[in-house]
Amino acid sequence: MSLLDVKNLSVVYEPRGAEPTMAVKDASFRIEEGEFVGLVGESGSGKSTLGFALTRLAKPPARIAGGRILFDGTDVAALDSEQLRRQRHGGFAMVLQSGMNALNPVRTVGHHFADIFAAHGHVPRQRRRSRAVELLEKVELTGAVLDRYPGELSGGMRQRVSIALALSLEPRLMVFDEPTTALDVMVQHAVMRTIRELQEREGFTAVLISHDLGVVLESTARVMVMKDGVIVEDAPSREIFERPQHAYTRTLLGHYADPRAEVVELPGLPADGRRTAPAGGGRGRAAAQAAIVVEDVSRVYPGRRRGDTPVAAVREVSFRLEPGQSMALVGQSGSGKSTLAKLITGVEQPSSGTISFGDLRVDRLRRRKLHKLHADVQMVFQDPYAALNPLHTVEYALTRPVVNFTGRSGADARRRVLELLEIVGLTPVEQFAARLPHELSGGQRQRVVIARALAADPQVLIADEPVSMLDVSLRAGVLALLRDLREDFGVSLLYITHDLLSARMVTDRIMVLHEGRVVESGPTAQVLRFPEHDYTTRLLDSLPQPARRFAAAGSDGDAA
Amino acid sequence: MTSLPANPPSPTVPAAPVRTGALRALQVFGRSFGTVWSNGKARVGLVILAVFVLVAIFAPVLAPYSPHANDFTPDAGGSSAHLLGTTGAGEDVLSQLLYGARVSIVVGFVAGGLSTLVAVAVGLSWGYLRNWLGEVVNFVVNLFLVVPGLPLMIIIAAYLQNGGLPVIVLVVVITGWAWGARVLRAQTQSLRSRDFVTAALFSGESASRVVFREILPNMTSMIAGSFFGAATAAVLAESGLSFLGLGDPFTVSWGSMLYWAQNSNALLTGQWVLLFAPGLCVALLATAMTLVNFGVDGLSNPRLREGNGR
Amino acid sequence: MRYILRKFGLLLLTLWAAVTLNYALPRLMPGSPADAAVAKLSQNGPVAPSTRAAIEAQLGVPTGSWWHQYTQYLDNVVHLRFGVSYTFFPQSVSSMVGQALPWTLVMVGLVTVLAFVVGSLIGVAAAWRRGTWLDSLPTLSGAFLAAFPYFWTALLLVFFVGYVFGWFPTSGAYSADAVPNLSFGFVGDSLYHAVLPALTILITSLGGWILGMRNTMIGTIGEDYVTFAEANGLRGRTVALRYAARNALLPNLTGFGMALGGVVGGSLLVEQVFNYPGVGHLLYSAVTNHDYPLMQALFLMITVCVLVANFIVDVLYGVLDPRTRR
Repeated sequence: MSLLDVKNLSVVYEPRGAEPTMAVKDASFRIEEGEFVGLVGESGSGKSTLGFALTRLAKPPARIAGGRILFDGTDVAALDSEQLRRQRHGGFAMVLQSGMNALNPVRTVGHHFADIFAAHGHVPRQRRRSRAVELLEKVELTGAVLDRYPGELSGGMRQRVSIALALSLEPRLMVFDEPTTALDVMVQHAVMRTIRELQEREGFTAVLISHDLGVVLESTARVMVMKDGVIVEDAPSREIFERPQHAYTRTLLGHYADPRAEVVELPGLPADGRRTAPAGGGRGRAAAQAAIVVEDVSRVYPGRRRGDTPVAAVREVSFRLEPGQSMALVGQSGSGKSTLAKLITGVEQPSSGTISFGDLRVDRLRRRKLHKLHADVQMVFQDPYAALNPLHTVEYALTRPVVNFTGRSGADARRRVLELLEIVGLTPVEQFAARLPHELSGGQRQRVVIARALAADPQVLIADEPVSMLDVSLRAGVLALLRDLREDFGVSLLYITHDLLSARMVTDRIMVLHEGRVVESGPTAQVLRFPEHDYTTRLLDSLPQPARRFAAAGSDGDAA
Repeated sequence: MTSLPANPPSPTVPAAPVRTGALRALQVFGRSFGTVWSNGKARVGLVILAVFVLVAIFAPVLAPYSPHANDFTPDAGGSSAHLLGTTGAGEDVLSQLLYGARVSIVVGFVAGGLSTLVAVAVGLSWGYLRNWLGEVVNFVVNLFLVVPGLPLMIIIAAYLQNGGLPVIVLVVVITGWAWGARVLRAQTQSLRSRDFVTAALFSGESASRVVFREILPNMTSMIAGSFFGAATAAVLAESGLSFLGLGDPFTVSWGSMLYWAQNSNALLTGQWVLLFAPGLCVALLATAMTLVNFGVDGLSNPRLREGNGR
Repeated sequence: MRYILRKFGLLLLTLWAAVTLNYALPRLMPGSPADAAVAKLSQNGPVAPSTRAAIEAQLGVPTGSWWHQYTQYLDNVVHLRFGVSYTFFPQSVSSMVGQALPWTLVMVGLVTVLAFVVGSLIGVAAAWRRGTWLDSLPTLSGAFLAAFPYFWTALLLVFFVGYVFGWFPTSGAYSADAVPNLSFGFVGDSLYHAVLPALTILITSLGGWILGMRNTMIGTIGEDYVTFAEANGLRGRTVALRYAARNALLPNLTGFGMALGGVVGGSLLVEQVFNYPGVGHLLYSAVTNHDYPLMQALFLMITVCVLVANFIVDVLYGVLDPRTRR
């Protein structure tokens, strides 16, 4: 008998005052004892809803509308609340997305363990502390964290604590819901390794929910792919990797490539930079004329409270962004890459060093003179949901820079706005011009943000993680747009990202930033293929590389 | 770049629909009203509020007598001539009650409006202050928040003896702006760090345009919320001050009705309507505004601002 | 520790600001409150020069530099010299305030804390049982009760419970023939007299605490740590109290400090209705008799009490929130 047997499960989402939607449609699958299964899908695919339903944590407005979930032969839906509570010990446990907020900020880690032991009574009082230490050691922490409050731990440590807490229930089934999403690449890598090793050693059955097919393929023996509430493919990981059946699986898989390869191609993004769309409307001005020159720039922030040591976000960074060049600035969060973007665009001033653009001294620009800089240096923001004022139409957002920087007005300005929409591929242009941001998808919003950056006819575009908030299938389109624009308009591009693959796709040169310093720089392909600095190597190693696993595993396949 | 004719009558580029100024403001208002109206509690509040406003406007039409006419039999119970009876001084209770709505509505709206104005001005500029000046403002606002308001009002009103409504409005504004300022400052700070505000800077917008076109419109619900909050406090404060006889006791308001009722020992004469009715009116008006605020909360969710369909 | 020291420094600074406000108020007012006060006092007989000086220092006369006046005023405040009350001539203002303050502190203070505790608990229950009658009943009646003017609730209770049913006394803090002492009989008598005023404050301030706690708790119930606690099979009561309510308490505690001023203000009117011999009642007498020295001293005392109460709330917050300890 399977440990988990799901039959025709449907979950409906019924928000107040809105149309109900089917989040999970007629899902059926079995999971055997000891299996490690991945559940993959993009945002809105229903994968988390399914995870919550499996562990009976679904709350209104989500409701199980049909089907059955048999856990070890008993119908999960039939348990009353006390039976359900009791079976959380030795039954199914869940680790939530972003362990950041999964711990009570006013209770110590030790209290969290004590609460669980007290609720189920499975650890005698005098053994509690030693048992907690034991569990913490399993996730590579020490007993020292027991007396700490969650606020005193790093994100990775908090997620490890959540895993230890879930383990303390001695569960037969563990559901990991995006356990590493909010973490930095390297931390992600380390936490995933811990999860993998734990599963092997303890032998619990596990479901790993993720939007990242690469992560799932690296860890699990079997993968279920979900799209719009339907499980479209369910097969062993190796099969999925080598012979994906469903078109959607193939799309997802298509976005995994090794940035170290000799030739890197993504669907919609050919390797040699061939055009993906016919040239859009050109413009009067030729290519960028001036270089951005950054010399010996540092930025130090005062400590958060008096007495704290100051934090150096950027340390002695120097580089040139030549006219028409595209350069990537890569590093983990906290590496100083976003601070550097603020300094170059004059939003903040450096503590020391100089930044110039043509004959403009950016580091000395007063707020009122920023106008002059922004006529030529524009920015594409990370989060398309935050970068547009929810109250203004697309037309308003695009008209303002056109009026402010190009001196056009009235019908002339409107003509330009429609042209911009055409360039970024938002047609029919008239319709898109009249829309409000909430009427657009994430990808469409990001195109509006790019159009707005182009509206000033800039020489330089600074793109700060322009695709990190978008689903994988939308990324290629936006990246291709950026690449085409650079060619058509000859703008220089500074592409800031933590994602080495996209850096490889859109840039010629790369700089690797670590703790505020440039540790390595050079032509993108060369640096990524033959990294010299240890940090770059580690960064590359932490990328999920399903190909590596299946190549190494050889013919006998699925050993995790 | 070729120069274009001044006003090209181009058929392919129709002029942008004029959605500026008053029309646009009206649209936004209409949409906001619809959002508030869709909340059941808020709907009840709006209806009660509308009734009181209408009563205040049409008091001369609705009231059977002048509120100051005191030539009736004093301390009379309800009768067909005087539905709610008469006061100890021989005035018609119903007429006084209807006219009393005027004072409460005016004080509520004027004092609420003025303190919201102060709150917006302080909150917005405070949200932009970062250095020690911000700390100073913080201290002053906190001072006004913790200093007990009503005693302060009583003291000020006592010095400005019987100044009537303007003094009450002034006193309510002095003691009532701080809460709104604090809320709006927090909102300003969170908005100004949003990407779309930075983006407006990149679009070459002037500082005033950033404040008035990007930040302020996104605080509508907060502003409306602090307006109704301040208006509620103003209505309650006015009734309290008038009840103590610190307003002009000869202005007919619900508070002064209670003042006279208490002074003429309406309890002993069994005139409970005289105590019950004005207080109930104050409580209803204040409840109505609290209820409206339940709906105003919904405004801050932009998803609720559905446009004209996709 | 640093947190508490900082809050204490802030308390001292706020106290100084409140004292200065008290100094500035009468001087900002049109006319000369000091002259009026001295004139009023002289109706009771000749005014001693020392008394006149004290009044002038407190209410301001246009002689001497403002700095001189200000330092003299501060000196008087520190030594609790507030002059002579002419409403209750020849009693000193400080002795009048001293007699009234305990009644208010005990009655209003206890009831306010009680209302906060009870209201918060009801709010917790309402949020935890969201959507049931246990939620809608307290929420709606809370919104309605919170809109009651304090003095009106007082009048209603006086009329119905006092006159019509005659269950409780409606005036004073103790029976007319009783002599204040700490005997069992007297305490019982004063408790009996305190029932209606206390009930008034409880009823009227309860609504605000219910709504506040319910709204923040609904927020914390949606937090990941509550879901995770449920996923770990903790008992419902543990999740509700130690996870959801414990975190919702923190912002409400701050709200409690902020709202204290309003509650105290409302209670002053309640005292007036019940002829309760506390500071509110005294303030009313001072105001109607234009007894400015008494009025100023009372306002100062009320403010100081509220500020100190706020400091206590801040300290409590520091104890309850580990994040302030870093």
